[in-house]
Amino acid sequence: MLEVDHLVTGYGGVPVLHDVSLTLNAGEIVGLLGANNAGKTTLINSLSGMYAPMSGRIRFEGHDVTAMTPKQRVEIGIIQVPEGRLVFPDMSVRENLLLGGINARARAHRPRTMDHVLELFPRLKERLGQNAGTLSGGEQQMLAIGRALMAEAKLLMLDEPSLGLSPLFVQYIFGIIDRLHAEGLSILLIEQNLNLTLRHAQRCYVLERGKVAIEGASDVVKDDPRTRRAYLGL
Amino acid sequence: MRQEFYKTLTSPVWLVILVLAVVLPPLLPSYYLHIVILALVYVALASAWNIVGGMAGQISLAHSLFIGTGAMLSTALLLKLGVNMWLGLVISAIISGVMGAMIAWIDFRFQLGHLSFVLITMAFAEMGTVIVEGWDFLGGASGLLLPQDKGDFLAFQFGGGIGAFWVMLVLAIVSILINVAILNAPLGYYLRTIRDNENAARAIGVNILRYKIAAMVISAMLSSVIGTAYVRYLTFADPYLLVSPIIIIEVVLFATVGGLGRAYGPAFGALLLVPLGEILRGKLGGTLPGLHYFIYGVVVIAVILMSPRGLLPLFEKWFSRMRPKAATSK
Repeated sequence: MLEVDHLVTGYGGVPVLHDVSLTLNAGEIVGLLGANNAGKTTLINSLSGMYAPMSGRIRFEGHDVTAMTPKQRVEIGIIQVPEGRLVFPDMSVRENLLLGGINARARAHRPRTMDHVLELFPRLKERLGQNAGTLSGGEQQMLAIGRALMAEAKLLMLDEPSLGLSPLFVQYIFGIIDRLHAEGLSILLIEQNLNLTLRHAQRCYVLERGKVAIEGASDVVKDDPRTRRAYLGL
Repeated sequence: MRQEFYKTLTSPVWLVILVLAVVLPPLLPSYYLHIVILALVYVALASAWNIVGGMAGQISLAHSLFIGTGAMLSTALLLKLGVNMWLGLVISAIISGVMGAMIAWIDFRFQLGHLSFVLITMAFAEMGTVIVEGWDFLGGASGLLLPQDKGDFLAFQFGGGIGAFWVMLVLAIVSILINVAILNAPLGYYLRTIRDNENAARAIGVNILRYKIAAMVISAMLSSVIGTAYVRYLTFADPYLLVSPIIIIEVVLFATVGGLGRAYGPAFGALLLVPLGEILRGKLGGTLPGLHYFIYGVVVIAVILMSPRGLLPLFEKWFSRMRPKAATSK
């Protein structure tokens, strides 16, 4: 479904990602692991079109999307849940969710998608009229995921969904991720939490200093001694 | 979303305003009428600025450029080339819109942060001052004097005093209604997503460039038209008043004190602060030099400390406390 081919991305001419290749099959959860500064967020932001790559190709469902703007990518179903949640604090939960579905493809089905999202996150239903800024961190994460689902994501890219959450909420969020996976959604999961990601993803890539250091089925990556090393940055 | 706008249009408050507008001005001494007109000018300007500064959260200081274009260019076109001032108003508004679009594009292209945006727009405003001062066509440093206002509507004359009052009232109301319309339309929501978090806005697929340009163009053209009407009222196109940093800082101040990003906030701020400033100057200006500025400053600081989000939210809170039943949902 997603093929990233020899991607090089950088800021101001200095490459951060060197020659990264990655594939994600439809209906799969793929984990993207790595220490701080490994280039995980740069990769996800390149996939959502925030940065133009210096070289390489990105293909989605067989189409070349390398030159597409972020808006066009949202319209074909590549949706990102940005790191740190980033809800719109001065708007109500309902407004946040509705704004998730502003792209041309999703707009017409907003009421139906909204029902589905509220069924996934009953907590949001109780808080529909409340300003998003007043929600707890975990609730904001639910809202950020709910907002991405409102866009009728085909590929959902989650950037550190466990960041700053209590263990209970982390468990809950990963339960939701499993459920979305069971519904057939393709998910790219960026995480610092190694064990959690290895448990939920079928395959993983470990990034190290902007390069893919290890890739393979989660079990294989888990037992590879280099994984721990990449994490400690040795 | 649209219902809110029509509800505003059919509000009985308009009737009250109409009655006041018919009855009050002829009774007012000309000095107080002048204060009312001035307040309306700033209601219109602060509301126009609010589209960019409040809703999209982009503190633009370039608006003195648009106000100045509306004032100086339309005057120069009339005096130097004999262009009817109505046409001058349209030409100035279009040029202001183009300049606004350019500034929005620069902001987008170079991904300016909040502070850089303020500084860049300030530089544009400064550039405007330099161009007007150095170019005789626009009156140079000495400004331009418009012909006497004989009330010839076709020549953009409204007979001063009460005529100017009606023009400014209409502009102020139009400016506020555009705010209400935008806030209740998708554009208003998109602008607020850009203000709250540009990255999140991009992640949900908001076309940031398009909406930044739309906000800036609407705001710039509106400011330009108000500038043209304002200079007709003043009769003297003074570059040190109309293309100066002072006018834009006043606009930003009124909008902030009233309540940024709200449809009626900036208007509220201007309606309170313009008369306050003028009356303080009138009563105290002759006693101790600078005293009226001092008191004015203390009042503004007190307001900002009391309610950082503006006076309108504060008043709404008081009001809903008095009528607890009416304020259950927002």
